[in-house]
Amino acid sequence: MDAIITALGLIFQIKVLWVICASAAFGMFVGAMPGLTATMATALLVPVTFFMDPVPALGAIVTATAMAIFAGDIPAAMLRIPGTPASAAYTDESYAMSKKGLLDLNLGVNLVFSVLGGLVGVALLIVFAPVLAEAAIQFSSFEYFWLALLGLTCAIFMTAEDPLKGITSLLFGLAINTVGIDPAAGYPRFTFGSVELLQGISFIPAMIGMFALSELLRGVVAVDQQGAVLAQKIGNIFVGVWDVFKKYWKNFIRGSAIGVVIGALPGAGADIAAWISFAISKRFSKEPEKFGTGHIEGIVDATSANNSALGGAWIPALVFGIPGDSITAIVIGVLYMKGMNPGPTVFLQNPQFIYAVFIIFVLANLLMLPFGWIAIKSGKQILRVPRNILIPVILIFCVVGSYSMTNSVFGIWIMLFMGVIGWLMEEHGFPIAPAILGLVLGEMLEQNFMTSMIKADGDPLFFFERPIAAVLGIMTVLIWGTMIWRGIRGQKATMAPTEA
Amino acid sequence: MRANDAICGIILILFAATMIALTAHFPDFPGQKYGPALFPRVLSTGIIICAVLLIWKHYRTASPGGRWVTFAPWTREPWRLGAFFLMLALLFLYIFISETVGFIPIALLFLLALFLWLNVRPVTAVITAVVATIVIHEFFSSLLRVPLPRGWLDSIL
Repeated sequence: MDAIITALGLIFQIKVLWVICASAAFGMFVGAMPGLTATMATALLVPVTFFMDPVPALGAIVTATAMAIFAGDIPAAMLRIPGTPASAAYTDESYAMSKKGLLDLNLGVNLVFSVLGGLVGVALLIVFAPVLAEAAIQFSSFEYFWLALLGLTCAIFMTAEDPLKGITSLLFGLAINTVGIDPAAGYPRFTFGSVELLQGISFIPAMIGMFALSELLRGVVAVDQQGAVLAQKIGNIFVGVWDVFKKYWKNFIRGSAIGVVIGALPGAGADIAAWISFAISKRFSKEPEKFGTGHIEGIVDATSANNSALGGAWIPALVFGIPGDSITAIVIGVLYMKGMNPGPTVFLQNPQFIYAVFIIFVLANLLMLPFGWIAIKSGKQILRVPRNILIPVILIFCVVGSYSMTNSVFGIWIMLFMGVIGWLMEEHGFPIAPAILGLVLGEMLEQNFMTSMIKADGDPLFFFERPIAAVLGIMTVLIWGTMIWRGIRGQKATMAPTEA
Repeated sequence: MRANDAICGIILILFAATMIALTAHFPDFPGQKYGPALFPRVLSTGIIICAVLLIWKHYRTASPGGRWVTFAPWTREPWRLGAFFLMLALLFLYIFISETVGFIPIALLFLLALFLWLNVRPVTAVITAVVATIVIHEFFSSLLRVPLPRGWLDSIL
C-alpha cells in the first residue's frame, strides 16, 4: 500500500502531469501523420526522456504510444491511409464507412473502444505481471537463457512472412550486439581499436536510425504524394457508440483479450493483434458478408485489440526484461539507462515504479478520451501539415537526438549506418523488428548462455536439468522443430510443380 | 534498389566469414575450451546457413532471365533520387563539419537545403528553418543541457 501511495506521489506532480499532457499531444500528432509510427514516436522521445527522472520518462513513452495507436485510426478513416501500421488491418473498412457517411460513428467507436481496450490491457497487466514476477524470482541463468531464446523464437514464428529472412534479421541483430566488451570475460570484440566502440553499438541511435531515418528515407522520395482528405464535417462523434457497445460487447472482450495475448508474445505487437482479431471477427461473425462494405463489427474487435496489445507487451518486458513488441524493446533500453534493470527484482526493490507504470497506463487511457476528441476535431488541420516541411525537421531532430546519447558525432554515425542498413533490409524484405529484438536481447542471451555453460561445464544436457528450464527448453525445441518441418513441407510444395 | 536473394546471400556470407576470421585471435576462458569467440561464431554459422538457404531458394524459384538488381520507379526521377541522396549527403556533412561550424549554422544550412529541394516556398523555408533551428537548439541545449557544438558562434552564445 505504501508503494502505491509513493507511486501516486511520484505521478501527481505538476511537472510529471505536464510531461504526460505534452506527450499525449505529441503522440496524437505522430500517430495521425501517415508515415510516422508509434515506434518512431518512442524512438524520438527517448533522447528527451534520457534527461528525465524514471517516472516522467516512462509516463511520456506510455502516454505517447497509447495516443499514437489510436490516432492512427483518424487518417485511416479520412484518407484511407493508416496513420500507424496498427490501423492497417481495418483501414479499408473504416474508409468504406466514411464514404457511407458514417465518419462520425466510425471515429467515435475507434476512440471509445481504443480507450476501453487499453484499459483491459492495463487491467490484465496489473493482474498478471506481479504473479509472474513471483515465479520468476527463482529463475537461474538456465531459465533466463531459454526465456530469451523462446522470446526470439516467438518473434520469428509470429511476425515474419518469410521465416528465413526473419531468422537472418534476428541473427544479424544479435551479431551487431556482439560489438564491444563481451559480457562474460570483458574481452573487447570487433572494436578495431576504437574507444567508442568498446561500449558497443549504442542502442538508442541504432533505434532512431532503423525506425526513424529509414522511414524518412522512404518518405522523402514520395513527399509530394499526400492523399486528399474527405470533405465531411465532423459532428458529435459519440452518437450511436452506446448502441454499438450493446450489440458488440462480446467482440470488444474478445478483441481486447486477443490483443493482450499477442502483445505479450515477444516480437508481435499492436499491428499483428489488429490483423488477427479482425480476421477472427470476420470468421466468427454472423454477417461475414457485410465485411468490406463499411461494417463496424470488425473495427470494434481490431481497434480494441491494438490498444490492449500495448499493455500486454509490458508484461514480459517488466517481468523478464523480454520485450513484447518493438516499443517495449526501446522501453527496456530506457529502463537500463535509468538503472532499473527490468526483471522480477524490480517488483521487490522498486515496487513504486511498477505501480507508477500501472497508474500512468490508466491515466493515459483516460486522457485519450479528451485528447482523442481534440485530435479528431482538428484531424483535417493535422493532415494538412505539409510533409516537405515535416521530414527535414524530424531529420534534424533525429540528428540531435542521436548526438545527445553519446555527446559526440559517433551517435550520428551509428544512426546513419543503422538507418541505411534498416532501409536496405526493408527494401529486400528482411523485417526490422527481429533485428532490434536481437540487439536488445543479445546481451541477456549471451550472458546467461555463457554463465550456464560454465556452470554446466560445457554439458548441454545440464540446460534441461531444472524443471522450468526443461519445460521452456522443450517448448523452444518444439517450436523450432515445427518451423523447420513447415519450412521443409513448404519447400516441397513449391518444388512439386517444377518436378512434375 | 533491390538486389535478388542470391546477392543478399553472398553479401551475408562475406559478412559472417569476416566475423569468424576476426574471432580467430580471441582468447578462451581460463581452463575452458571456449571463450568470447563462441557466441559470434555460433551466430556467424547461423547467418551462413541462412544465406546458403536463401541462395538455394532463389535458384529453385527464380524465373530464368530475372535481373540481378532491380530499381524502383522513383530512382528514375532525378528529383526524388536527389532528395534521397541529399538527405544522406547532409548527414555526412553534419558529421564532418558540425564541431567546427557549430550547431546553429549547420542546422540552418541543413534545413534550408532540404526545404528548397523539396519545393517549400523560399520565404516559408527561411522562416521555418530559422524557427526550427532556434527551437531545437533551445530545447536541447538550454532545457536538456546537451552540449551542442557552438563552433563559429562560440563567442556570442
